[in-house]
Amino acid sequence: MSMKRREFLELTGIASIGSLLTSTKGAEAASDPRTYSLGVELPSTGAGALYGGDGIAAIKLAADEINSSGGFLGRYPIKLSIRDTHTRPSVAVREARDLILREKVRCILGTYSSASAVAIKPICEEHKVLHIPAISNSENITKIHFSPYTYQVGPNSYMQAKAVVLGIAKLAKKKGWKNYITIASDYEWGRSTQSNTVALLKQFAPQLKLKKEYWPKLGETQFTSYITAIMAQKPDFVIGSIASKDNVNWLKQAKAYGFFKKIPYPGSLISVSELITQAKTITRGLIGLSRAPFFAHLNVPMMVNFVKNFRAKYNRYPSDWAVMSYDSVYALKQGIDKAHSINSSKVKDTLKSAIISTTRGKLFFRCIDNQLSCSSYLGVIADDSRYPFPIYHDLVEVKGPESWRPEEEIVEARAKEKR
Amino acid sequence: METGGRNSGSKSEREEITGESMDFSLIFSQFLSGLSRGAMLFLIASGLSLIFGVMNILNFAHAALWLVGAYLAYTFWNLLQPYGFSLWVSIPLAAVALSAIGWAIERVLIRRIYNRTLSEQLVFTFAMILVIDNLIKIIWGVQDKAIVRPSIVASPVFIFGAPLDSYFIFVIFTGAVVAIGLWWFLSKTKYGHIIKAAVFSREMVSALGIPVPKIYTWVFVLGIFLAGLAGGVQAPIGSITLGMDNAVIIQAFIVVVIGGFGSLLGTLVGSIIVGEIYAFSILFWPDGAMILIFVVAAIMLIIRPWGLFGTPMRT
Amino acid sequence: MQWSHNMRFFQSYAMKKQLWIIVVIIIAAILPTIIGAFWINVAVEILIMGLFAVSFNMIFGYMGQLSFGHAAFYGVGAYTVGLLMAKLSIPFSLSLIAAMLSAGAFALIIGYFCIRLTGIYFAILTLSFGQLIYYIVFEWYSFTGGDNGLQGIAAPHLLSSVTAYYYFTLVIVIAALIVMWYISRSPFGYTMRAIRDNANRTRFLGINVKRYMLINFVIAGAFAGLAGGLWGPFNQSISPDLLNWTESGIPVFMTVIGGSASFLGPMVGSIIYTFLNAFVTGFTQYWPLIIGIVIMLIILFSPGGIQGLIDKWYKHSDSSDENIEL
Repeated sequence: MSMKRREFLELTGIASIGSLLTSTKGAEAASDPRTYSLGVELPSTGAGALYGGDGIAAIKLAADEINSSGGFLGRYPIKLSIRDTHTRPSVAVREARDLILREKVRCILGTYSSASAVAIKPICEEHKVLHIPAISNSENITKIHFSPYTYQVGPNSYMQAKAVVLGIAKLAKKKGWKNYITIASDYEWGRSTQSNTVALLKQFAPQLKLKKEYWPKLGETQFTSYITAIMAQKPDFVIGSIASKDNVNWLKQAKAYGFFKKIPYPGSLISVSELITQAKTITRGLIGLSRAPFFAHLNVPMMVNFVKNFRAKYNRYPSDWAVMSYDSVYALKQGIDKAHSINSSKVKDTLKSAIISTTRGKLFFRCIDNQLSCSSYLGVIADDSRYPFPIYHDLVEVKGPESWRPEEEIVEARAKEKR
Repeated sequence: METGGRNSGSKSEREEITGESMDFSLIFSQFLSGLSRGAMLFLIASGLSLIFGVMNILNFAHAALWLVGAYLAYTFWNLLQPYGFSLWVSIPLAAVALSAIGWAIERVLIRRIYNRTLSEQLVFTFAMILVIDNLIKIIWGVQDKAIVRPSIVASPVFIFGAPLDSYFIFVIFTGAVVAIGLWWFLSKTKYGHIIKAAVFSREMVSALGIPVPKIYTWVFVLGIFLAGLAGGVQAPIGSITLGMDNAVIIQAFIVVVIGGFGSLLGTLVGSIIVGEIYAFSILFWPDGAMILIFVVAAIMLIIRPWGLFGTPMRT
Repeated sequence: MQWSHNMRFFQSYAMKKQLWIIVVIIIAAILPTIIGAFWINVAVEILIMGLFAVSFNMIFGYMGQLSFGHAAFYGVGAYTVGLLMAKLSIPFSLSLIAAMLSAGAFALIIGYFCIRLTGIYFAILTLSFGQLIYYIVFEWYSFTGGDNGLQGIAAPHLLSSVTAYYYFTLVIVIAALIVMWYISRSPFGYTMRAIRDNANRTRFLGINVKRYMLINFVIAGAFAGLAGGLWGPFNQSISPDLLNWTESGIPVFMTVIGGSASFLGPMVGSIIYTFLNAFVTGFTQYWPLIIGIVIMLIILFSPGGIQGLIDKWYKHSDSSDENIEL
């Protein structure tokens, strides 16, 4: 009896190791060269879920559209592999490897947090896989540790900060503001946006004094202590760099404290997602910043078409995150068309300095950092009879080339990095 | 929805407050925000502390269940939305519904680990977090949920010039009611006496012919009821999102560590301490709020592991 | 506890196990020629996390205390290597030694306080210290890069291919396991077991229980640091979530799966956990649900983990051996 058991155990041991090895081998071999494997890394849980979900929806839509005409180059249908990063860089890296080595993806779209984007960048470069972050926008993604495989299709944190600063400098002069406080989420994007804004304000509005900076942690659910502390100090205005669900919490709670009635809050990120999810409650009259509001480009046929299809498929309007993610797929498509190849090394070369059509009009990638020449948008939140949610009125579009970091500063930063 | 008309009033108010009164209002408003944070923590930690005190099980999954409570409150609120009182009904409904879930969990799972080692119990409830969080994802999806507050708690109130989100009056009130109610239950009722006795000696209680497993079931249900109530109260504060429970469980642990395991008064004091440390460190050392809380917890564990009001009998 | 087993049978059983280990090592040595690049990456992860879990079990299995802050030492090791290599260009090998030393130093300070407590208090104090270090790393932007973490941690050219890195990790991990194995078989290791089973009795024997526990804690921390040090160059970047409490749960899970009563149990746990993770995430996003259920089932029905199950079958004994075996 005992012998039998032992033998059985040994046999199962050997058999399981054997099957394990063959199964791993088998799984790897199963990559079909007739499809284009496209990886998506966006969180559907954690701090970035609000934006990530919209990005995934838009990518699926774009893939369906392209596949309906046979796929890339008319013969490589897109096979999407979507992974949840849980907004954690270490998970993002593991998933990137998995996507590249097992799913044989040729391009990875997304990541929500910038920390995840900078973490997977070298993995993509190592395996010669394209990387289009779309939602993560810390300028460090393309400024330092440059990878020729990484292309940015949204305005980066520097461009956004510059756009805000230009707006605030005007307002400050008009209203006689003297001091301000910043509140930014304590992570890569919040940090880099805040520091760029402060540095640029020093340059464009030197009379303004930074009273204090606050760094609520990423994923904060209760901002009350920050709200009361800021209100008690009575700054002339407050600049916030808080994103996704944290932003929803922050706006909701600050409003309940009457914050926005007492303290101007100009130029903080309030994307179309926030406008939609807080349609009833968001404070009208706030001056907000947006990365890619669809209503700014309804003169572009591609945008009209996208909004129509997105609404037909999901029964809602697309957010900035959907717009940029959709554009990332079409940027890839145009690169492939031009290269007449799905080989990512070739595609990366043809995208270099390329002019591409996007839902936001014809734009180009800057040579030095692969940054798309896209705009940032500032406007006043107001109700609009055409939509079931408020949109931006008096929209100011700050173009990419007006707002991106001068090339010599990038060269300088990279020289410092090499040292 | 909009509550306008305060603009002119606040302007003059703003000019009046100067010098000393500004410092006072700053400190007072931080105190109030700390108190409301503490009240929320107390609601969560009281159930955790109760379950640990009586059953000697540290329930890692307590905050995960709290989050289920918040989602349940959202669901009830959503169903009852046409009625003006929907929020106020959905909070107790969430607590009751979660109690039922708690009852099932105790009967099916927790019951089986009473006689296990502490490590096994901890790892088991830790694994429960993963399961519960994923079940939430399956049931409610990944999109955030938000409750629109009724207008009565949508605008701020000013207490001595310090602003307070009026909903937090309700939060603090609920915290106080739970504290008093639990105190009354534990010290004035027969069942309360039995439970208190069970904290000290399970053997004694069972020697008196009182069925201990039954007590355990109902204590667990009561603890989870409190978690559900806390979740319901939390729901309208911000948006309800996946993963919200991760930071909260650690803070609830810290509360219980500082106050003392199994002590109701300790949990109350611990909650207020943690809430106030958080609120005031933002004034003096904005980056260090969380660091400070863990420093306090570590010091407490080193010099007085059983906490401020606990008894040193359990190790 | 029960020495009444048939010694001959016991020896043959031990020999069988040794045979198995040789087979496994041979398989490990030829593995990269059999499997594809992705699974080599998984294998590297198995080795690193396995070392992390075995070091955790020095505290859990030998000392009988549950640490919920072990990721702190793992993270300190990772950041030591990251900072030294990325900022000061110190060679990888030296950085790895430094990782062990710094993680050991942290373990000395933290352990000094933790070993005074047992049971639930030990678990929560290690958790608190772990979170404390996590938040310091997170907040100290200028030094640690905050949430952004550290990038540009490249393995030396010789190890730049994943196969080379796999062999390097294999050698380091096996060496570390041998060292830990000898520690566990030494008089020190037996003293630890005596402390676990009855600290008071051991104290009456004139043994400085606290000092032994502290040394053990430091050894465990140092090897966790070594595991963390291997992680950075493997991923080319590190981030503070390596230190978070959810990361501390991973070696706990691995040990529960594999079995804490045997030296290699946590490594077996790492193989199962990491392989399942890689396998499952390929077709479902509900990996945590699956692993959560697996853990709950193991605790309910097979508290000794996989190793415990195997041992039980081999020995036809209902009581699991109290002494830690290979």
